[in-house]
Amino acid sequence: MDTSVITDLFDTWTDDALGWISDNGEWLFEFIRLILEGTYDGILWLLELAPFYVIAIIAGLLAWRLINPVAGFLAGVALAFCAFMGLWAETMSTLALVATATILALAVGIPIGIVAGFVQAFDRALEPALDLIQTLPPYIYLLPAIALLGYGPATALVATFIVAMPPSIRLTSLGIRMTPREFIELGQASGLSPWQMFTKIRLPFAIPSIMAGINQSLMMAFGMVVIAGIVGSGGLGETIYGAVRTLDIATSINAAIAIVILTMVLDRLTQSAAHRAKAGVR
Amino acid sequence: MNTVKEANDVLLDCQNVWKIFGAKSSAAVKAVSDRGLSKKQVLQDFDCVVGVSDASLQVRRGEIFCIMGLSGSGKSTLVRLLNRLIEPSLGKIVVKGREIAKLNAAELRDMRARNIGMVFQSVALLPYRTVLENAAFGLEVRGVPKDERNETARAALAKVGLSDWISRYPSELSGGMQQRVGLARALAADPEIILMDEPFSALDPLIRRQLQDEFRQLTKSLGKSAVFITHDLEEAIRIGDRIAIMKDGMIVQVGTAEEIVTKPADDYVAEFVAGISRIHLVKAHSVMRPVADFKTSQPHCDVDALLKASPEADIGELIDITMRSDRDAVAVVENGSIVGVVTTRGLLRGVAGMPAGAPSAA
Repeated sequence: MDTSVITDLFDTWTDDALGWISDNGEWLFEFIRLILEGTYDGILWLLELAPFYVIAIIAGLLAWRLINPVAGFLAGVALAFCAFMGLWAETMSTLALVATATILALAVGIPIGIVAGFVQAFDRALEPALDLIQTLPPYIYLLPAIALLGYGPATALVATFIVAMPPSIRLTSLGIRMTPREFIELGQASGLSPWQMFTKIRLPFAIPSIMAGINQSLMMAFGMVVIAGIVGSGGLGETIYGAVRTLDIATSINAAIAIVILTMVLDRLTQSAAHRAKAGVR
Repeated sequence: MNTVKEANDVLLDCQNVWKIFGAKSSAAVKAVSDRGLSKKQVLQDFDCVVGVSDASLQVRRGEIFCIMGLSGSGKSTLVRLLNRLIEPSLGKIVVKGREIAKLNAAELRDMRARNIGMVFQSVALLPYRTVLENAAFGLEVRGVPKDERNETARAALAKVGLSDWISRYPSELSGGMQQRVGLARALAADPEIILMDEPFSALDPLIRRQLQDEFRQLTKSLGKSAVFITHDLEEAIRIGDRIAIMKDGMIVQVGTAEEIVTKPADDYVAEFVAGISRIHLVKAHSVMRPVADFKTSQPHCDVDALLKASPEADIGELIDITMRSDRDAVAVVENGSIVGVVTTRGLLRGVAGMPAGAPSAA
């Protein structure tokens, strides 16, 4: 039997469905695009408001407060180095992309994670979906996004959002489920209402896990945002993609260094914030 | 509401309570209530474990009631039945005249927040809150304004001697101090009854004794009632006004420390009390001989010339008195008249734990 008939049928069906969605849902996707690009533009505008050294100093001070003086110095110098390579605008637009996608991913992922933490059936249903999202090659998300939202940062944001969401869902749900039994008992014996039990006991105990989820989401977003250079995301991803196409090795390495610097600074900052949360819940 | 005081003012009344765990527990409960199945039969026929079996006890206002049993005896289950952290399978639990099984969720929360405090072996201090915030937790739950609850919590912490530690975090405190905070948290909410679930078991012996004495003194001075769970009979004797001994989910004996030590209900209790020092438990009235009896055996002794003690004097005091006297006997005086005589032989019998009626050659 020729199975290609079935495959062809499935493919035609998928294409038709996508075509139908893009024809009939245009207003919806236009709306989504407006929201995504509006948020992105807003954050980018904010980041470009200040000259590079101000941003570098702010990052340095944050690292100093959260980690130690050496880390503060290194973070400041490393960010300033991005500007010296002539990649400041690209670095900031990448930061804006990552920030937008991560904030949206957390805004959706944390509430879903909380519900999954309480409702075991929902958690079990969610698990395979999250596995699927995390095992599919990230490129896959770019194609339907580009069909529906067109070339530009909105497509990059949607793909990044999808990739960044699973860790925050998983770790939030885990954190909610891991409340030590004796504290649940304390809550019950003290006469806590269900809402008080959530805000006064479960959520505080889940904070370290949720913070770890935020860090993981951020890292996933960084990974995706470079790949999204292909769909015209702007920023360092597009610089790298352009350099690869013209075999401009020097530029691609510069941009890669800038990505590494940005990733490491944000990783260390959020990681130490997560550690602090954990230290609070000893 | 408080116009009609109940007889003896029973605050907490637990009547024939059962707790059966297991998949077929409802069938097992039916069998127990219809046919009066035993614990063993329930396990055989229904594969259900009986946690608490037909337990009845009453806690009066101002009383410290100890429940003593080894691990697996069902004492922790029983104490959790008293504030309905565990639902009873059968039986009735009445707190302040209200049957707690009939309270709805909001009423139950209110009763737990206002009337029944609880202190845990694990202490369960919230690690992300200061000592003061932990002590104020119960009041916070009830929606008491911040200034007011902090003031109450501060006073409670002062009572347990932790005034200097209020802005510290639990991890900075020793085990004994942490348990003091746990006690302060329960006291700050001002409940009538405090359930203590093996609160001092994890502490070292010296700190434990100190906390036992402090707890008893504090509870008595504040007029609280307490149900105190322990696996340590000496602790129960030190703290409790009355003691219930549990074994295999059943309450084997209820009584004062003296009653349990001098009249153990069965071999199990007898074995337990065998190692307990009777010097401060056995009182003059249970080792004394009738005056007439004494006079016939020792006609030359002038009873009125003997040194005197009250019927509540324990053996330790009686030994002291005997040592100060040149005679071998002490007169027991109640309301101005001599009601009996404690001889050296009687003292020895009391120390050794022999029944008072044992034959004596004298």
